[in-house]
Amino acid sequence: MHERLSYYVKRDSALHRLNPLTKAVLALTIILITFFNIWYWTAHIALLFFIIPLCFVGRVYREYFGTLTRLILPTAGFLFIMQALFQPIGETVIYQFWVLDVTQESLAFAFLVATRIAVMISSFTLFLLTTHPSELMSDLTRRGLPGQFAYVIISTLQILPQMQAKAQTIISAQRARGLDTESTFLKRAGSLLPLVGPLVFGSLVEVEERAIAIEARGFTSTHVKTSLHDVPDTSLDKVIRWFLVALVIITLMLKIWLS
Amino acid sequence: MAIVNLQNVTYKYPLTDSPVLQNLNLQVNEGEFVAVVGPNGAGKSTLCYTIAGFVPHFFKGELTGTVEVAGNESSKSSLHEWVLNVGLAFQNPFNQISGAKYTVFEEIAFGLENTGVPRDEMKGRVEEGMKLTGISDLADRSPYSLSGGQQQRVALTSILVMQPKVLVLDEPTSQMDPIGTREVFGVIRTMAERGMTVILVEHKMEWIARFADRVLALHEGQIILDGKPREVLTSDLLVEKGFGISRYTSVARKAKAMGLWKNNELPVTLDEAVEGFKK
Repeated sequence: MHERLSYYVKRDSALHRLNPLTKAVLALTIILITFFNIWYWTAHIALLFFIIPLCFVGRVYREYFGTLTRLILPTAGFLFIMQALFQPIGETVIYQFWVLDVTQESLAFAFLVATRIAVMISSFTLFLLTTHPSELMSDLTRRGLPGQFAYVIISTLQILPQMQAKAQTIISAQRARGLDTESTFLKRAGSLLPLVGPLVFGSLVEVEERAIAIEARGFTSTHVKTSLHDVPDTSLDKVIRWFLVALVIITLMLKIWLS
Repeated sequence: MAIVNLQNVTYKYPLTDSPVLQNLNLQVNEGEFVAVVGPNGAGKSTLCYTIAGFVPHFFKGELTGTVEVAGNESSKSSLHEWVLNVGLAFQNPFNQISGAKYTVFEEIAFGLENTGVPRDEMKGRVEEGMKLTGISDLADRSPYSLSGGQQQRVALTSILVMQPKVLVLDEPTSQMDPIGTREVFGVIRTMAERGMTVILVEHKMEWIARFADRVLALHEGQIILDGKPREVLTSDLLVEKGFGISRYTSVARKAKAMGLWKNNELPVTLDEAVEGFKK
């Protein structure tokens, strides 16, 4: 059940071989450009001609299309409907629903917002699918991110599912002793109280033990840390990163200049 | 020359009235495999934390007397230097998983990354460690997906690869089946033969009798017996003070009372019991 704790899919591809920071910059660049470029079709082009081909380059298209149908399309679809119905702009009414007007302009705006959100989630999905979290953290630590900070991020990601599982165990245990979890809302809300104590205090005790465990493994050692994973940072990576940064700067300048 | 040297150690946790360790003296030689037995609340875990430097550096509280390992005094060193000499693995395996790593291999390498071991040497040590404890086939699994016994092996391996001079283990086999326990005791024995000093808290008397060099009986923060495994584990004092004893010892003790046990010495293991009853 907890076998897969990250989205990362282990494949061999040009995208996988890129430095994690390059991939992070790539994901952010795509998002920034879609949000700040003034041309209407930027987001659509980014999705169709960058992200989807990149999924094929990274050989994670199956996983990406899975996320697309389960998460991205429903989210974007919902946003599209909401924006189309409630955006009070435009005169050309296409469709009337109760007191709400769907205009040509609101439809166009809704389509843009939905695509932008789709690009944002897609971009992050692609990043997560092709980047191993430990590699990202060792790379960032090597670049000067404090070890404690990296630990907090990564352990939080891992510990959340553990906490959920534990909450479930406590509920089952309390239920076995006659706790009511299935009647009216108020009663059920009240019945959550006995869960809070064991979960919170249990976690505090655990924190102490975990602190001892990582301390025993030299976590606060003053040695220069080494890393198990060799995370290559090639000159190609550097070129790509500077190119992407330049693209973002140009986009932002255009945005400021033209508006 | 004693590598671990405790002189008149008395320790009180913060906000408590009575000391957990009372005027305790202990010398352990290099390469010795010492087992510690005692009822709940005897101070076994506190003794482990004291030797491993977590008392007083982590738990604060009041420590008097001196704790020395390899010539250094714990109150005068910092904890992060201390853990390089003394490795600690404890009972609950789940909380010993760092939570920062996605595979068992990475998990075991965590301590080596922190202490700056070069990459090639790190990989070699992790592979060797996993082979020794029999978990090579788990290398790519998530540490959270393992059973309690497997996690305990990972926790033990994580400390072994750091190659401490002294290994302190607080019930490292509590979630293992008999076969796993035997294997892990074998590993600990091997480490002791290679010169690592081992201090092990354990309830499994038969395994202690088979593998340890020396046994300490701890009661209310004091060492009440210290000697060869058989002498300590079959002592009448253990029964008087409410220690758990091996089932073979209990049977032979009853048999002796009924005149069915002819030997002077009581057994601790199954083999010894069988031999004794044959006579």
